[in-house]
Amino acid sequence: MNFEEIEDQDGIRFSFNAWPASRQEATRAVVPIAALYTPLKEREDLPLIYYEPVTCKQNTCGAILNPYCQIDPRGMLWICPFCLHRNQFPPHYRDISNTNLPAELLAKHTTIEYTLARSAQVPPIFLYVVDTCIDEDDLKALKDSLVVSLSLLPPHALVGLITYGTMTQVHELGYNECPKSYVFRGNKDYTCKQIQEMLGITAQTMRPQQPVRPGQPAPFVPTGNSRFLLPIQQCEYTLSSILEQLQRDPWPVATDKRPLRCTGVAMSVAVGLLEATYQNNGGRIMLFVGGAATEGPGMVVGADLKEPLRSHHDIEKENVKHYKKASKFYEGLAKRASTNGHVIDILGGCLDQVGLLEMKSMVNSTGGFMILTDSFTTAIFKQSFQKMFDKDAEGNLKMGFNATLAVQTTKELKICGLIGHAVSSNKKTASVGETEIGIGNTSAWKMCSVTPLTTNGIYFEVMTQQGQSLQPGSRGLVQFVTHYQHSSGHFKLRVTTVARSWAEGSSPIIAQSFDQEAAAVLMARIAVFKSEIDDGPDVLRWLDRMLIRLCQRFAEYRKDEPQSFRLSENFSIYPQFMFHLRRSQFLQVFNNSPDETAYNRHVLDREDVNNSLIMIQPTLMSYGFEGEPQPVLLDSVSVKPDSILLLDTFFYILIFHGETIAAWRNAGYHEQPGYENFKELLETPAVNGQELLMSRFPIPRYVVCDQNGSQARFLLSKLNPSTTHASGGQYGNAPAGQAIFTDDVSLQVFMEYLKKLVVAGTS
Amino acid sequence: QPAGQTSQFFVPGEKQGSNFAQPGFQQAQPLAGQPLAGQPNMNQLTNQMGTMNVGPGYGFNTQASSQLSTVALMGAAPRILDLEAPPPSINLPANSSITNSPHANCDPSYKRSTLNAIPANSQLLQKSRIPFGLVITPYRSVKEGDEPVPVVSDSIIARCRRCRTYINPFVKFVEGGQRWKCNMCFTLNEVPSSFDYDSQTQQPVDRWQRKELNHAVVEYIAPAEYMVRPPQPLVYLFLIDVSYPAVQCGMVATAATTILESLDRIPNDEGRTKIGIITVDTSIHFYNLNTASQEPQMLVVSDLEEPFLPQPQDLLCNLKECRPTLEALLNRMSDMFKDTQSVGNALGPALQAAYKMVSPIGGKILCLQATLPNLEAGALKPREDPKLLGTSKESTLLQAGSSFYKTMAVECSKSQVCVDMFLFGSQYSDVATLSCLPRYTGGSTFFYPAFTAAKSEDALKFAHELAEFLAQRIALEAVMRVRASKGLRMSAFYGNFFVRSTDLLSLPNVPRDQSYSIEISYEDNLTIPIVCFQTALLHTSSSGERRIRVLTLALPVTNTLSDLFLSADQVAIATLLANKAVERGMNSKLDDARDALTNKCVDILGVYKTHMTASSSGATPNLQISDNLKLLPLLTLGMLKHVALRGGSQIPSDLRSYAMHLFSTLPSQCLIPYIHPRFYSLHNMPENCGTIGDNGIEMPMPMNLSSERLERGGLFMLEDSQNIFLWIGRDAVPQLCMDLFGVSNYESIRGGKTTLPSLESDFNQRVNLIVGKTREMRRSSYYPQLYVIKEDGDPALRLWFLSHLIEDRAEPVMSYHQYLGHLKDRVNSGSF
Ligand SMILES: [Zn+2]
Ligand SMILES: [Zn+2]
Repeated sequence: MNFEEIEDQDGIRFSFNAWPASRQEATRAVVPIAALYTPLKEREDLPLIYYEPVTCKQNTCGAILNPYCQIDPRGMLWICPFCLHRNQFPPHYRDISNTNLPAELLAKHTTIEYTLARSAQVPPIFLYVVDTCIDEDDLKALKDSLVVSLSLLPPHALVGLITYGTMTQVHELGYNECPKSYVFRGNKDYTCKQIQEMLGITAQTMRPQQPVRPGQPAPFVPTGNSRFLLPIQQCEYTLSSILEQLQRDPWPVATDKRPLRCTGVAMSVAVGLLEATYQNNGGRIMLFVGGAATEGPGMVVGADLKEPLRSHHDIEKENVKHYKKASKFYEGLAKRASTNGHVIDILGGCLDQVGLLEMKSMVNSTGGFMILTDSFTTAIFKQSFQKMFDKDAEGNLKMGFNATLAVQTTKELKICGLIGHAVSSNKKTASVGETEIGIGNTSAWKMCSVTPLTTNGIYFEVMTQQGQSLQPGSRGLVQFVTHYQHSSGHFKLRVTTVARSWAEGSSPIIAQSFDQEAAAVLMARIAVFKSEIDDGPDVLRWLDRMLIRLCQRFAEYRKDEPQSFRLSENFSIYPQFMFHLRRSQFLQVFNNSPDETAYNRHVLDREDVNNSLIMIQPTLMSYGFEGEPQPVLLDSVSVKPDSILLLDTFFYILIFHGETIAAWRNAGYHEQPGYENFKELLETPAVNGQELLMSRFPIPRYVVCDQNGSQARFLLSKLNPSTTHASGGQYGNAPAGQAIFTDDVSLQVFMEYLKKLVVAGTS
Repeated sequence: QPAGQTSQFFVPGEKQGSNFAQPGFQQAQPLAGQPLAGQPNMNQLTNQMGTMNVGPGYGFNTQASSQLSTVALMGAAPRILDLEAPPPSINLPANSSITNSPHANCDPSYKRSTLNAIPANSQLLQKSRIPFGLVITPYRSVKEGDEPVPVVSDSIIARCRRCRTYINPFVKFVEGGQRWKCNMCFTLNEVPSSFDYDSQTQQPVDRWQRKELNHAVVEYIAPAEYMVRPPQPLVYLFLIDVSYPAVQCGMVATAATTILESLDRIPNDEGRTKIGIITVDTSIHFYNLNTASQEPQMLVVSDLEEPFLPQPQDLLCNLKECRPTLEALLNRMSDMFKDTQSVGNALGPALQAAYKMVSPIGGKILCLQATLPNLEAGALKPREDPKLLGTSKESTLLQAGSSFYKTMAVECSKSQVCVDMFLFGSQYSDVATLSCLPRYTGGSTFFYPAFTAAKSEDALKFAHELAEFLAQRIALEAVMRVRASKGLRMSAFYGNFFVRSTDLLSLPNVPRDQSYSIEISYEDNLTIPIVCFQTALLHTSSSGERRIRVLTLALPVTNTLSDLFLSADQVAIATLLANKAVERGMNSKLDDARDALTNKCVDILGVYKTHMTASSSGATPNLQISDNLKLLPLLTLGMLKHVALRGGSQIPSDLRSYAMHLFSTLPSQCLIPYIHPRFYSLHNMPENCGTIGDNGIEMPMPMNLSSERLERGGLFMLEDSQNIFLWIGRDAVPQLCMDLFGVSNYESIRGGKTTLPSLESDFNQRVNLIVGKTREMRRSSYYPQLYVIKEDGDPALRLWFLSHLIEDRAEPVMSYHQYLGHLKDRVNSGSF
């Protein structure tokens, strides 16, 4: 079974591709039946349909006609595989026959996309929210990037601008006489109603009693909508000139203070503006933030520099003044924005934290982008920002708006929930299960933004009780229906229908169908989801327990004989994934700032299996004088003085020169004739690294370092510590690779423990 | 200056001659059987000539006291020419002043007392029933030809160490000139050595040349100890109503143009003057005037609950530096709001924001308001209620309808912020409430009822007044205190200021030509021969200097009632009474105010009859009073018939409130014609009238305010310092119509607010010159509006015009003749 081919076809990877036929057997399989699904996965041969889908007319069902439906062409009937309802084909299907089937019934078209007749009334909206409490260089760079971005928007897109610092300013782009903006206090928690009244966008403007001047046409009454959000083609000049003239926040800042930055009010105003004007029309609020909020609702830290930004330790000890209040405030905004169908992106440009931890819900609930960089002047920021506006072959932005993902299952399988960037649509159909994993109690979720990369983890449970007979060869079906507003304005419907066989618990098919990569990522998502709620150590213990139980179920071993422990090939690297996951920044947060943790976890919840695996277990390539570059173990033994390593953690790309290589390079050999091969050796990893950079979003950090250099720690922290400062002396030998200063157990030790615990059979 | 050469009247502080040989001159008739003291008319004439010949300064008279001359009031028209006469002479003993300078005593245009001889004790004052007070116009304008106020620029300020009196022409040098004796408290003080020796140039100097020893009105450049901070720059913050009515009536466009055209006239000697603009409707709009692009940025604050400044700086901007941006804004302003639909106005919150902007420096907030503020703090309701007019409850409409504005004003006063109100309204404007801000902050109120810029006269008047107002060299961050000789106390204050401590008046701004009245009471008997009133106005000049203007008035003390009557100044008395009446009318009832005025008249006439004439008791056939008080009954009647105080239910409270405001701020020079307008016959005026003579444009002789003077074919002019009326009789000959209006006949003349055409005809040019002169001869920024009244034209206009003819009977108020009869009856019945 080639999981990647299936992924290419349907954008989906299941943990198990044959499903234990009873609830008990499924529980014993430890890893739940679950899928990572990429609804808008790009596929060159995707069947595009320009008519409306045929849906099951059974009251609550609504499933869409698909290749798994039984049809009766003569009777003009089809049977819904989900509810078994017999549906009449619509009249225009009258010419249907077994040899003349519509696209959606062809077996190969398990994934299909309908372009619906209805299209959005309003083009996509882009509301820029720009921090002005940043230094001149940053502001200049940011302004340049913003101006460039205007040319990347579809010409009909609506744009708006909010700037903020001590106060928040909403710029009226439709005002011709002079630059005009509405100003809000930075320290006041304005209600939505107040914001809308102050912008004059809800209250019906009072008409004067007197008639307008006779002989003249009635004056143009600018409405809220047209004043603040205008088509880019209409206001590009005005907006560019406002951006170009944008100044730093004018309020003075004492040397012992942080600038007053009212990110909370700015976002509250932004959400309120879109809420009042374009509810349920696709749009995104792009927050450009250069520091932590220090003012008003949503403040993350006080203005006094004496007060440090909260760390994981502070949070753990509950020694944080603003964290809960701020998080709650931003959660409120996140809820409103997601309800209204508006995306929130956060683009940070700051060496320090910007309060991503508190603000993350706004992005995670709406499917927005998070970009975290050291400064708006960096190439990472500029390129990542531009990449947001990547276009497809037709020149449309690669982003869908205001999407809903609905899942339908055949009755043996029920939905536990979704882990990903979405909110519940509160759709309680028969497909909803009892157990809750992630965002549960619903069979549909709203994603205000969805891109071709957006990948959700969807978790299921088996309802069939043991003993209830299943017909041999019977299959379970899952249908994923994604409805979204394409950036061209069309509404589209992506339908993926998959079928998987049910298998008796004793059947080897179950183990053979295990996709350890997908399973590792799905379990990682659960672990991270739990970490957001539970204590770190509890999650680690849970992961260990699950791993041991999985091995107990699927490994071959003899009781109490660790050396007898064997895992089949499709389970073999799963423990290694878990080992690295345990050590990863997703679960070991104390070496990172809370913002970085929020960022890392955000990215993990968005990416597909391959990218997520790189995050969990980074890849390491070794470049040497002999032979082709080759992947090597993520292990300290891979560090050699005469080789170059290329580490890809997804978040950064690191090129590591061994001692000897670095010395030769410093001596300038590569510039001397006769050393062309050395020159090539130096260049190849850099070229490969650049290729990786350009293919990824957000652009990873790029680090070049030498063995023993200070930056080398980025590599060493990722390596399996098979040779630690302690292990070297233990055997009396010089360590074969790089000694790593850590007390962490190595993979080898971890595996020994695992084997022992599994075969002991006590857990 | 030879007498009789010109036909000018006395205008205090202006050069003039006098001419009494004009027709229409009515002499008081001596009544048979009533012995009158002296030969009044001849005596008085000489007296006046003598005084006038002193020249521009109006010094004091050291000649022997004139004798009291009694005149009878009834049976003749009042001699209104004497309204222009100088106050009674101040008869100080010889050598009262150390320098004998003609300028040693205070010019009445700066400060005048109701009594030019001070009763030695309160009993005597009580007995006379004459109100005792000062009328002070310390910062009156100095027009061309006026003597500027001398400036002591060497920072040597000699003050009494005990009572802080400034050295003045009435001190004495003692001990060989080593010390000076204070003329208030008689303490001996060291004479500063620099009075005689200039240490800088190392040269001896002549102390007798010092300006403060020669001039009663003098200004010092104050050294640092008179400053709590460096002198503030001038700050002008315009707060402009841009709601629909304001835009529709053309106020916004006219204001923007006028401000734009006035930018060069705004005082800016030092280049420190700051300007800001706020516009307001349902939101407050600020303007960043310091932008790189020289394009203003508009910042809208809609948070009316808690208005705030959207930027820490650049909302107030240096006039020079932000000039291009400011001009761009003013040029665009009428376009910016031309499509407004907003009928809301948040003046209160906007004022709070303006205050935040200006208060760190202090300065001027000019409110241009065309609607009733109706949002949040300071919102007002249209409360005009015709049912209340003419009742005892009418006063409630004349009081502030919201405490917001007074509270705001007091805050402003503390921070040296002055608020001026320019009110425009097609409907009720609540002048009573909105004028509170100027009242307590040393500001000014201008009112343009039914303003519409579509009428060029309206636009012109407003533009002219605003432009003049902006060009005024005002004083800033001022305090004023009046010191008096021991035994006297300043007991009540009238005018636009805030009383900070018992007698210290706080004036964030001192506009030109505003008048303040102060009532004086006794704390002790006076045992000295001369009392002194010294007014010190510590202020910052428009040129950024801290200065002290000192006005010293020395008056003799007397024990006799006859001296009091002889020295009573009817103009000052009328001014003080007008202020008291306004206060009473606002705080109590208009009826009470009117009664008090008549009672005061009756009292004075009664006292005079009892103590100054032979017929001390019993009925007399006539009313008698000293010659210098003979116009008091007429002025009283003028007040009773004035919009400010008149009875009846016809006067909208806005108009009344505004008139009351003028009563309490106009200097006497404007207030007297406001109470008693000038009335001229133009169709038959002498040839030289309306031509340019030696002293500028020759004016006709004013006439008594009686409709008997009107002729059916005549052309008459009446002006009260606020308006000018041209009355044209229905039988006006076509030639007159053609000469003046360029139309063929009376029927073709359009009545109402108008601009007189400029024609080739001699008559047209002369009338135009007279109108022009009328508009500039007063010390004020007001630009009188011209109305043409046709005898058979618009009845409302006609009635308005006729209401100024106060000697006529105008139901229910008596004619002058009847009023005298009424006064006589009251005096005879002893009911005073
Ligand atoms: Zn169905
Ligand atoms: Zn003294």
